[in-house]
Amino acid sequence: MNKNQVYLDACKTTRMDPKVFAAMKPYFLEKYWFPGDFTNIGNEIADKLSESQEKIAKTLNAEAEEIIFTNGGTDGNNIAIKGMMYANKEKGKHFITSRISHPSVLTVFKALEEEGYKGTYISADEDGYLDLEELQDSIRQDTTLVALTHINHTLGTVQKIDEIGKILQASDHKINLFLDSCEAYTKIPIDVKKQNIDAISISGHKFNGPKGTGILYLKKGTEVERTQHGIVRMHSLKPGVVNVPGIVGITKAAELIYEDFEAHVKQLRKLQNQLYEGIKSKIDDIRLNGPRLGERSPAHLNVSFMAAEGEAIMVMLNFADVHVETGSACSSEDLKADYIMMNTGRTFEESHGSVRFTLDKFVTEKQINRTIDSLDKTITELRRRSPLSKKK
Amino acid sequence: MAIKYSEKVIEHFKNPHNVGELTEPAGFATEGSPACGDQLSVYLDIEEGTHVIKDIKFQSYGCASNIATASIITDMAKGKTLEEAKELTWKQAAEELGGLPPVKMHCSVLAVDALRSAIKNYEETHLGKQFDDSLSKSNVEKELEKIIYGKVGVDILTLKLVKYVGVDNENNIIIDLEMDEDDKFLDDVKKEIREHLAQFEKANKIEINLV
Repeated sequence: MNKNQVYLDACKTTRMDPKVFAAMKPYFLEKYWFPGDFTNIGNEIADKLSESQEKIAKTLNAEAEEIIFTNGGTDGNNIAIKGMMYANKEKGKHFITSRISHPSVLTVFKALEEEGYKGTYISADEDGYLDLEELQDSIRQDTTLVALTHINHTLGTVQKIDEIGKILQASDHKINLFLDSCEAYTKIPIDVKKQNIDAISISGHKFNGPKGTGILYLKKGTEVERTQHGIVRMHSLKPGVVNVPGIVGITKAAELIYEDFEAHVKQLRKLQNQLYEGIKSKIDDIRLNGPRLGERSPAHLNVSFMAAEGEAIMVMLNFADVHVETGSACSSEDLKADYIMMNTGRTFEESHGSVRFTLDKFVTEKQINRTIDSLDKTITELRRRSPLSKKK
Repeated sequence: MAIKYSEKVIEHFKNPHNVGELTEPAGFATEGSPACGDQLSVYLDIEEGTHVIKDIKFQSYGCASNIATASIITDMAKGKTLEEAKELTWKQAAEELGGLPPVKMHCSVLAVDALRSAIKNYEETHLGKQFDDSLSKSNVEKELEKIIYGKVGVDILTLKLVKYVGVDNENNIIIDLEMDEDDKFLDDVKKEIREHLAQFEKANKIEINLV
């Protein structure tokens, strides 16, 4: 591994913790068995899986039996969203989501619309907060599901789940609340009971766990129709082979963070603050995208650099082995400006010049300093080349 | 498959040639806009009599390939006569860079376009040439030639994606496009058409139909 590399794209994926790898290794090479009854080897695996469910449940204030292991965030979104809509189709075929939901949520709903389901896409303000009055007004007699992205992946906005839960509780009929919490888990506290959440999808590789692993929390009694079929070894909604090493890995990854969750969040906030203050002190004419620090996700910063273009910033930072993400249309495969930036009132120039920095536990203060330094040089150079900068 | 830049694109992006501006350029033009995501200004210093491009500078607000294509096209134009420089094409610029990803080919078009506009500006201001920029079918077609279909990196006229171009008596521009409704580049092509045709101030409205 290149020790000089700075990877600030944790929202895309993260490096697996070596401790996670060490925990998984025996389950690949020695304890490769399936869970089962009556035999010691089958029992040992079954016990390990139960222990994993219990450990994950604790982090969400859920019950062990409410935890299902999946292949990732997208897998969980598909199982839960489709399964809940299908199970309630006699009651109604209307769902509510938002215009700034993650594509892994929006694409599932697009598929459902092709099957005849109807949706309302609520809007967000310029900081990415959903319009809760619009949510309230969108509820219909045939609404059975509200599915939202918990922390917005582009703006770092933490949605007001407590208020959303209360709105749905006050409805005259049951409406399920599903959250895509891939960016939220391990970044903010989640309490499924207090917050009246019915289902949550989580992805392992977003918090230094293994790729291809996920968690689906499903409140006891929630009706979900099966969308996958096969031999059931752990849960009927996720049949087929049980990814034992993956489950051990994702559990270990969560454990490592939740053993001192507050210290973890505090460290992320410190780095986030260091990065933003550093950028502000060295580079002028910038815009913060999303809520102010302290209010937004602790692992997330999004800044637009005026008169410089995001793809060029990303590529030039790459030369310095600093890795970030941009909302520029020039880096998208269909040349479209970022839909979240466009749906939250940004100008094209703000979207094209936006750079997202996302953090995980492996990011160091030294790396943040190197990022600020590289960014300063990059923006200075790109502005030197830019016809827009001379207007100032 | 991942979209990759050639080594030459990277080299020209890292160390672009001819960056800057000329204080009293003989010819000057800006193409694109911040809203499009790329804007390029070209400055020309031209030797009177021979009409050779003595010096050329550019400023670019755009992605890596935008800067690289501006760097290469200004290199290619330097030392050439205006007539020779006018003949440079976006395909040549892209080839000179060792190729461009199809989705980036529009950068090459912008670079050539800005160069040609700067030359045109010189011809208008110094040689007294007049150009017909009026709203006409052929001038609309000239603009459509500059619009690249990002999937294959070729312009929409060459690809015959444009089935009909017309300007009616009320100065409405009508364009029939043969593209699928769910083509992921449809929005980009429509946006590009509107941006390129915005220069026709007399145009009433632009009607784009899918056929």
